[in-house]
Amino acid sequence: MRKELEAQLAAQLRDEVVCVEKTDQRTIFIDVKREAIRRAVRIVTEAGGRYMCGVGYDNIARDGTLGMVHTFSMDHNDHFICVRTKAPAIDPVMESITPDLPSAGWSEREFMDMLGMQFTNHPKPKRLVLSDDWPAGIYPLRKEVPYDLVPPGAEDVAYQLDEAPPGTKIVPIGPFHPSLHEPEHFAVYVDGETIKGCDYRGFMTHRGIEKLCQTQVSYNEVPFIAERICGICGSVHATAFSQAVESAGGIKIPRRAEYIRTLMLEIERIHSHLLWLGVAGHLIGFDTVFMQAWRVREQLMWLCERLTGNRKTYGMVLIGGVRRDITPEIAEDIRRVVTNIEKELRVIHRAIEKDSSIHKRTKGVGTITKEDAIAWGLIGPVARARGVDIDARRDHPYAAYNDMKFDVPVLTDCDVWSTLVVRVLETYEAIRIIHQVLDKLPAGPIFVELKDKIPALRHAITTVEAPRGESTHYVITGEDNRPDRWRVRAPTYTNLQAVPLMLLNEQFGDFPIIMGSIDPCFSCTDRVAVIDMASGKARSMTKRELDFMSREQLQRG
Amino acid sequence: MWLTSKIKQILMVMKPGIVTLDYPGQPAPAPAAFRGQPVWDHHKCLGCGGCANHCPARCILTRDVCQELRVMLYDGSRCTYCGRCADVCPEDAITMSNNFQTACDDKNDITTRMELFMLTCQRCGRCYEMEKTNVIDRMELRGFRYDNLESRALIRQTTDTFSPEALAATEHHQRPSR
Ligand code: SF4
Ligand code: SF4
Repeated sequence: MRKELEAQLAAQLRDEVVCVEKTDQRTIFIDVKREAIRRAVRIVTEAGGRYMCGVGYDNIARDGTLGMVHTFSMDHNDHFICVRTKAPAIDPVMESITPDLPSAGWSEREFMDMLGMQFTNHPKPKRLVLSDDWPAGIYPLRKEVPYDLVPPGAEDVAYQLDEAPPGTKIVPIGPFHPSLHEPEHFAVYVDGETIKGCDYRGFMTHRGIEKLCQTQVSYNEVPFIAERICGICGSVHATAFSQAVESAGGIKIPRRAEYIRTLMLEIERIHSHLLWLGVAGHLIGFDTVFMQAWRVREQLMWLCERLTGNRKTYGMVLIGGVRRDITPEIAEDIRRVVTNIEKELRVIHRAIEKDSSIHKRTKGVGTITKEDAIAWGLIGPVARARGVDIDARRDHPYAAYNDMKFDVPVLTDCDVWSTLVVRVLETYEAIRIIHQVLDKLPAGPIFVELKDKIPALRHAITTVEAPRGESTHYVITGEDNRPDRWRVRAPTYTNLQAVPLMLLNEQFGDFPIIMGSIDPCFSCTDRVAVIDMASGKARSMTKRELDFMSREQLQRG
Repeated sequence: MWLTSKIKQILMVMKPGIVTLDYPGQPAPAPAAFRGQPVWDHHKCLGCGGCANHCPARCILTRDVCQELRVMLYDGSRCTYCGRCADVCPEDAITMSNNFQTACDDKNDITTRMELFMLTCQRCGRCYEMEKTNVIDRMELRGFRYDNLESRALIRQTTDTFSPEALAATEHHQRPSR
């Protein structure tokens, strides 16, 4: 793989390629000069690379440059390819790759905000992460900016929405709104009740976790903070971070620990899928599903309390292994609970699979073709419901997944209903994996002491298949017993970028379920404001009204 | 199809019935393995500060009032019950209790404050020099530290010698704000 790529790059880019190296079994780093970045990325994409994320980092103290890494996954032969380049901090300009790869749009915008990079020809060079009143010229991820800087706020600045297509009205949804937990703002352009486009302004709860962990804490505290990135896929982030550091530092963890990590990840998957099933039911106004799915899920939370000491945020994963062992008694307990969950989930599954009212609300809704799904780099159940056969557990096996036998359900109906079915089927697979883990659990220690220092300035990338899609973590190790750079790309980051496309030409009443189908952390509060652009009058719509509209949609079919 | 689905749904709901617990009418104790609020044993604690340095939430503060007196303050209002402090404590002075009902109207009800009498080395201090790689050394707390216990702010700056000025500076330290 490395040789072929190197030959191709050398042939097309000649001396603009600085070096091509393979750091471990699956990671290839390609260093190119910044002029060649777009062409290099094109070569990698043509070789079958699927864009994952971009990582910008501050290297000013060492050689006065800002670095940018574009990472790709080769799903068919288990490789990660990282195309690295750098630009001097006084002139941090490089060519944008977004015209070729739409899913790179956010990654580039993020580092315009956070590091002050500039990308020429970016189709939408607007602010993404920083708040509108953040002063220009302060780039929070640069090392010279202190982690606790609080610049004074300003009142008179606002985000400029994209131009609305002619003949449409704007419906702003958010920052708090019915289908998401996190404050995010959508401006939906509607013609009548048909959605014609949308603009997104989010990152309102950006907590600066990356900066915090790069400046304040030490390696083994980060897993606990990583776990709190997301209330649902906590173990996923902790595992991904730990794996990245282990891979950078060449730490080999005991096999038993890898098995226990697998177990925790699958328990988390069951939890997340049941939670999502419930919320999806709620969003289409079918609260029976919500109540029952959450009732089934509750026993899993009690199990986790006995197993890890907490209902959620398990705190199981550390660099070097896991913290708690699985005793034979608790293993029995796990088997009993998951068997019961499987039984009860089948009851729910049978009761809803042929229900025409659910079909009416979910079939043919939120469609996006397989080609678009690939072009936008969709991941997780959202992609698998659109015929894209990717799953990091199988394609880039980590922890103990190479010992597990499981199927990856892939459907081709391309709508919300198939997302729902994929997630239910995956829950059964997760239960199957849990039984296998408990059957095969090897004996031995669960943790290795970190004896040597973790060498500085090593790059490593890992992905972990979270319930909603793959989470990618990129770590550059640092000198002060903490990462120099840690980049987290959660699955929603990718999937949310494709939402405008999913919404196109759908009904406004379907907005909650389409939004919800990518599982971006829901909220059940609040209201939508409808603004009539002609008169400028604003009217507020309560949650009840929106629910009502949503239900009306149900009756209309 | 619609009707059979509805019948199945009714059965699905009927079978489990009402499952809501009568909490807090009926107490719902946490299981034995639960990780609740940490509890300190001041007899065992030797004031190494390992817990303070490894708390991901940074809610354990350390303040050296003078050569002999170190105050350790655990601020339970920000604690995430992760149990990392109990993991790193070399003396097993911290146990994770199974208390999770910690809502209260006074922050001090869930705060632990320990005043520890510290011995100082009367001799050459060479032992400490030689132990550069021991566990406590790796916990990174050397010398004196002056966290501000009043505004519960952390000043991650230690000095090798006790300095009354540094101590005084903490009096005015404020957490960054607008
Ligand atoms: S339990 Fe965790 S958050 Fe609480 S004091 Fe201990 S280390 Fe800190
Ligand atoms: S780690 Fe243990 S011995 Fe050291 S200060 Fe904390 S409680 Fe005391």
